[in-house]
Order: sequence, then structure tokens, then C-alpha cells
Amino acid sequence: MAKRIVLGFVAILLVIAAGYASFFVAPTERTMGDIQRIFYFHVGSAWAGMDAFFVCFLANLLYVWKRKPTYDFLGVSCAEVGLVLTTVVLITGPIWAHPVWGIWWTWDARLTSTFVLWLLYVSYLLLRSLIEEPERRALLSALFGIFAFIDVPLVFFSIRWWRTQHPSPVIMGGSGSGLDPTMSKVFFFNVLAMHVFAAFLIVERYVVEKMKHEVDLLQREAEAL
Amino acid sequence: MSLLSNTATLLGKELRTEFRSRELLTTTVVFILVVLILFSFAINPTSEESREFGPGLLWLAILFAASLMLQPCFLREQANDTLSSLRLAVSDPFSIFLAKLIANTLFLLLTEVLMLPLFAAFYNIPVLPQLHYLLLVLFLGSLGVSIAGTALSAISAQARMRELLLPLLLLPLLTPVLVVSATVSVSLLDREPVVQWKGIGFLAVFDLIFLTALWLFGEYLLEE
Amino acid sequence: MKNLSSIFAAYLIGWGVFFLFYISIAKRTSDIRAELERLKNSLPRK
Repeated sequence: MAKRIVLGFVAILLVIAAGYASFFVAPTERTMGDIQRIFYFHVGSAWAGMDAFFVCFLANLLYVWKRKPTYDFLGVSCAEVGLVLTTVVLITGPIWAHPVWGIWWTWDARLTSTFVLWLLYVSYLLLRSLIEEPERRALLSALFGIFAFIDVPLVFFSIRWWRTQHPSPVIMGGSGSGLDPTMSKVFFFNVLAMHVFAAFLIVERYVVEKMKHEVDLLQREAEAL
Repeated sequence: MSLLSNTATLLGKELRTEFRSRELLTTTVVFILVVLILFSFAINPTSEESREFGPGLLWLAILFAASLMLQPCFLREQANDTLSSLRLAVSDPFSIFLAKLIANTLFLLLTEVLMLPLFAAFYNIPVLPQLHYLLLVLFLGSLGVSIAGTALSAISAQARMRELLLPLLLLPLLTPVLVVSATVSVSLLDREPVVQWKGIGFLAVFDLIFLTALWLFGEYLLEE
Repeated sequence: MKNLSSIFAAYLIGWGVFFLFYISIAKRTSDIRAELERLKNSLPRK
């Protein structure tokens, strides 16, 4: 319990510090101006979301292999937190894009795969809600989670190779041009902060799932009497 | 090899079951037909545009039809719990999946081949010149749809609201198949046809990856 | 600051989403904890 509170505090502090750095430490970007500062929050959330989904994938594999309920708890927690992070990415992206490039959305590889990823994990959670029996739910959602995750690179490359007709919005001089050193530090600090914050949310969600399991066990015990 | 002989036996059963009533095939053919017609009401293509959009719409229709056609795949095994008997009868549960996905691919292909002349007529797109390549793309794409669809129908059959769930699980997963099959088909049916071998290769890779995943995890999908 | 309203909106909505998610977890935690206590008390001591 104490560890959870400490994690929460550290997460909040890091996030506030990262926000401060994004606004007051990072220099203003040459072409876009201050709106570029969304980038730190936006990409930090995106990377944390992808990592959450990756951990979900690992938890899914471990569940199918070992069948320990803890992996199921971890899987659903990572999926939900990943989904929340990805939702924020999908919202902040257009808010950034519209003033800068005049478009809300484009069907390039990154955006499209993020959106499909979002849809797949919504389906993952929906699937879970439609299966009552806990072990069956854990197994089937783990299997779907595995299929969904291996699909993601396929989605990305299929769009990248067959859909990118017009150049996608160039981010700060193109990916090859490299980031200003201060910006780079602020960026990675944001990535760290979002990861710690995600970890905090995952832990809290995990605890809920674990308690639900205990409730379930007690209910079965009560019925047996 | 017992895997092959088991698969062959089960495949025979799947095909015989379907051809006895042919209800799955007829409903799927009619469904794709209706969807294609509705598309043309909704977007009113001129002759030129239909070359660009037609093949994509055809693939969309195939996907919708498949997500309906794949519903009974494992549901029909639930009626008399024939799945348990199947599992006991075979040494490798993968043969059950293999038989079903081959059958599903064949059903889809048959439906598509029957639809092709009608598609060519409605959308004014000659399909004969590139027929062999078109059939290749249809085959690889339908195979991908079947592999993913058979696996996911085993999952959705064990959940509530399965009729709505299967399309919801399947369609986002099949995004790569839709994008690539549609693009390759469009360039095949263009005024100056181009065979996109990279796309055909990609579809083959997709099929291989999901077939491998099904092989690795199939037995868990069928667990009691 | 150019486009201040956009950055403001992005951060507000983004953190709003996180905050709402956290609130939903906290609520679920307290509900489940209450349920757990109720069940523990209703079962006879071992």
C-alpha cells in the first residue's frame, strides 16, 4: 500500500515537472511556434501506450502458458491503461495538427495503425465483458490479445507501403534532422514521466482486478455453504 | 501423416455438410450481390470512377460477407457438442482448424468466382484479361480472411452477442488484407494493368503469420 | 503565445481523460473493498 502511494506521488511529481519543462525549459520551435510543445505530451503518451500494449501482449502469452490469474489481471490493466493513453494521443494529435497543417486527420501509416490499434483493444475489452466465466474470459481474451498484437506491425506496413501517396506531416524538419539537445532532454523526460504515470495507473487498476477476483472466490465459497 | 489424413477426413465432412444444404453458399452469394448493388446506389459511380473504387468495394463486400459466413463455423458444433467428439477423434487439434479454414477459403472463393461476372457487368470492369492474377489475389486474400476468421469465430462462439462480436473482432484485424488486396486488385484492373508482386507477397506473408499463430495457439482456442 | 487555446485544450482534455480514468478506478476500488468487507463478515469464521 505504501509503495502504491509513493509511486503515485512520484508519478504526479514527474508529470508536473515534465509539463513545466515542456513549457518553460524547452526552446520555442522555429516553424510551428509554441503549439509544438504538445509534441512532448503527445508522443510521451504514445510511447507509453505502445509499451502498455506490449506488456499486455507479454501478459497474454504468460497467461496462456502458465494460467496464473495474475497475468490476466496484468493483461486487462495494461490494455485499459494503454487504451486511455492511446485515446489521449488520438485526441491531442488532431488538436495539434489542425492549427499547424490545416487538417484534422490523415490516413498515413502512423495515424491509421494507431487508430486500428485503438479499435482492436476496444474489441479486446468488449470481448472480456461478454464472457462471464473468469478462466474462460482470461484465456479467450489472452488469445485474442495475441492475435491483435501480431496484427499491428502488419497494419503499419500495409498502410506505409500501399497508402502513403502524399507526404505525411513533417515533424520538425523530418525525422532525419535530429532534435535540438534541450528539446531532446525535455522529450525523453516526458517519455519517462508518462511511463511512470502509466505504471501508476496500471498498478491501481491491477489492484481492482485482484480484489474482484477475491470477491469472486468468496462468493463461490458463500454459495457452497 | 495423421495430421493430413485427419484434416482430409474433416474437410470432407465440412464440404459434404455444406453441399447437402448449400445454405451458407447461397446466402453468402446473395449477400455480396446485395452489398455491391447497394454500394452503386450509394455512390453512383461513373464508368471511370468505378475502375478506381470498384475493386475496393468488392473486397469490402467480401469482408462483410465473410464475417457473416464464418459465424456458423464453430456455432454449429455447439448444437450437439460435436466439438468434444471432434477433439477426441483427432490427435492434433490443428487438423480441426485446418479443415475448417480450407473449407471456408473454398466457400469464399466459390462465392467470389460466382460474383465475378456480375461484378464485371455492374461496374463495367473487364476481368478476363488479368483473370489468373486476379484469382491469385482473391485466393491469398480469402485465405487470410479465412484463417483469421476461423480462429476468431472459435473465440466469439464462446461469448455472448456473438453475431455482432465476430465482425467487431475480425474487421479491424483484417485491415492489412483489405488495404493490400484492394490496392493490388485496382492496379490489376486498371487500363494499364500492373501486377504488384510486393502486395501479393505481403498477402502470402500475412497468411503465413496467422496460420503459424493458429498452429501455435489453436489447441487453447478449443479448450473446454 | 501563438495558438495558446489549442495547447490549453490539448493539455486540458488529455489530463481530463487521465483524471476521469483515475476517478473511475478509485470508485471501483472503494466499491469492491466494501463488497469484500461485507462478504468477509457474512461468512462464518473458520
